[in-house]
Amino acid sequence: MATIDIERQMLPMLGSPNTGARFYNPDLPEGEPFVPGHRTCAGCGPSIQYRMTSKAAGDNTILVGPTGCMYVANSSYLCTPYNVPWAHTQIGSAGSFTAGVAAAYEAMIRKGKWKGKFPNIICEAGDGSVSDIGLASVSGALYRNHDCLIICYDNEQYANTGIQASSRTPYGGMTTFSPPGPKVPEAKTLFPKDLGRMMAAGHPHCYVATASVGYPIDLMNKVRKALNHRGAAFLLMYTPCQKGFVYETPRSIDLGRLVVECGMFPMWEWDPAKREYDYSFRPQNMRGVADYLKLQGRFGHLHAAHIATLQKFANGQWRMMGVEIPQALMDAENPDAHVGMAAAEQAAAIAHTV
Amino acid sequence: MATAAASRRTVRINGCVAAAQAAKYADVDVITAYPIRPYTATMMALAQMVANGELDAEYIVADSEHSQLSMAHGASSSGARVFTGSSGVGVQFAYELYSPISGSRMPVQMMIADRTLDPPGDFGSEHTDALSTRDMGWLMGWSCDAQEAFDNHLLAFRIGEDPRVLLPQMVCQDGFFVSHITADVDLPDTGQVKEFLPPYKHPYPLDPRHPVSHGPQIMPEQGPPLQLERARAMEGSVPVIEQAHNEFAQIFGRKYDPWLEEFMTDGADVVFFLQGGHGVTARYAIRHMRERGAKVGMVRMKTIRPYPTDRINEVLSRFKVVGVIETNMSLGCVSSGGVLYSEVCGALYESATRPLVLSFMAGMGGEAIVLKEFYWMTQKMLDVQKRGGIEKRTHWVGFEE
Repeated sequence: MATIDIERQMLPMLGSPNTGARFYNPDLPEGEPFVPGHRTCAGCGPSIQYRMTSKAAGDNTILVGPTGCMYVANSSYLCTPYNVPWAHTQIGSAGSFTAGVAAAYEAMIRKGKWKGKFPNIICEAGDGSVSDIGLASVSGALYRNHDCLIICYDNEQYANTGIQASSRTPYGGMTTFSPPGPKVPEAKTLFPKDLGRMMAAGHPHCYVATASVGYPIDLMNKVRKALNHRGAAFLLMYTPCQKGFVYETPRSIDLGRLVVECGMFPMWEWDPAKREYDYSFRPQNMRGVADYLKLQGRFGHLHAAHIATLQKFANGQWRMMGVEIPQALMDAENPDAHVGMAAAEQAAAIAHTV
Repeated sequence: MATAAASRRTVRINGCVAAAQAAKYADVDVITAYPIRPYTATMMALAQMVANGELDAEYIVADSEHSQLSMAHGASSSGARVFTGSSGVGVQFAYELYSPISGSRMPVQMMIADRTLDPPGDFGSEHTDALSTRDMGWLMGWSCDAQEAFDNHLLAFRIGEDPRVLLPQMVCQDGFFVSHITADVDLPDTGQVKEFLPPYKHPYPLDPRHPVSHGPQIMPEQGPPLQLERARAMEGSVPVIEQAHNEFAQIFGRKYDPWLEEFMTDGADVVFFLQGGHGVTARYAIRHMRERGAKVGMVRMKTIRPYPTDRINEVLSRFKVVGVIETNMSLGCVSSGGVLYSEVCGALYESATRPLVLSFMAGMGGEAIVLKEFYWMTQKMLDVQKRGGIEKRTHWVGFEE
């Protein structure tokens, strides 16, 4: 059987990742595959990420949207913000639907039924979809190494259903399914599922990296690296949710940097060929977790001991990356170093209105 | 057609392989597989065809039936011709996807070799697996042997992909009785298939050059028109189905009534009404009973979705008694038996000459319906005819005197 060779896209890297021009970069593509006019909240982390990602990918792109905020709040019938093809799929079908699109293009191009460069096929799935209900679906797609990119826009909860705990909700995070109370003062008692490392460890051919909306150029370059990678790629992206985290709307990008600076969201890349982590990403500062927690109403109920527990967790993350931990952060593992969240009562009042 | 006829050949294959052959003749682009008996043999055959280079398709080993169907959905949405399949609990594991696939009007084809659900979960054929999805907007019907299975797969691609229809198709066959019984199957020339089945072309695929959004979130008032459209697509498939069967007969030389097979119904007072492979045994039993003077016949339904209401009304009104053989369970339903009883009675309600209808739970657990049981059921129908009324709506065959 005569088959046609498939031509793949190769996107250039943007300059100055991580340092210097974080908010303006002359290399930035002008195209906007994700346009305004959707119904996401002001300051929505996932939609900021969506814009950056689709900008980095360009127009020869197909987007897949499993059920979640980026489906419900983005796409209204007869008015959607996507300038490229987009399809909804079920919340548990993130990886599988995407795999179907990728397989279709492999076959159609090879058999001469579609002519052009292989499109970027990107799935934008929430953390509920990827870490819970669709885990097997995503794992299957990554394992089979379809030429696609699966993004987990991680807002650490089921947000569009009204803020419920997911496997990515951090210890101490208040949601409507993990409320604090006299018997459970810390709210969520479990640490988050280590989703990024699971994906890196278990899928032999897959490029995996973490990114945050706090570092837009780094995020877009990881998107391009993931798309240029021949085969499956997975990106775990920190995307704060103003509604669920309960913070001041303009601080989404700040939180995206603070979460990295305090060690609660480690930044790394996984090279599948070398089977190695690259921990060379360094935030400009290192700080205690309290600096990050105190901006968010969802942590407003935490006692000193809970903050110390989260500091231990963060220090463990630094250690895993081989970073030397300053004495101040070691000292912060002691509950005596903290006071309970001053705004606990206020925060609870806000959360109850959610 | 002289050259076409030259490369036709007859092979001895089972229903599973016949389905795989049909997918190969249809030159499918994407196949999504997940193992569960008995349909697995179809995917084994396709895997070998791909490995041999006889078929150029993406063959994906899925991580579940749910993923199988969502991959099929994604691939079909992109413009590829897609083939998938399952059996028993596998059909139900994928349940969430049936409505989204028909709702987005993607003509995915799914082969089903029936298997009992759990319990009992044995390998035998009960139609409950596929029938439980009957209202999800898929075209659906049963084949009674390997040849009919092959033909129905080609027909279903042609009908489902027709731009007037654009609906997914479940092409069902009984596990074991059809899926694993070998029979002579006439395989056509590829030229004949090309003539019958044009390339798949969805009007609005996911194509970066013509961006479209599939399946956005809608407001309640926007729902009814979409549902009405899907209902109309199902109704509108009726003439397309008839046209496809006519052209099929012209090209391949096999003429099927798309809705019902009537067997020895001339002069019959009582008839069996059933679907699928048990029809083959029924023919034999009926021939035998006719020789003994019983005026019995059979009406075998070939397409259950869209349901041939008027045809069933017209045909079954000619008889005095209809005995529905269910081979499925609908616990707590109208007849405390299976789903076919109410479908038959619904079609007959407007008839001026309604026959008496009773329902037989036979072939349950995938057991063969043996001749003795056909005789017993015939006797029950004759008793009903004589009495002029039914004794009860549902009989569990083998559990009563």
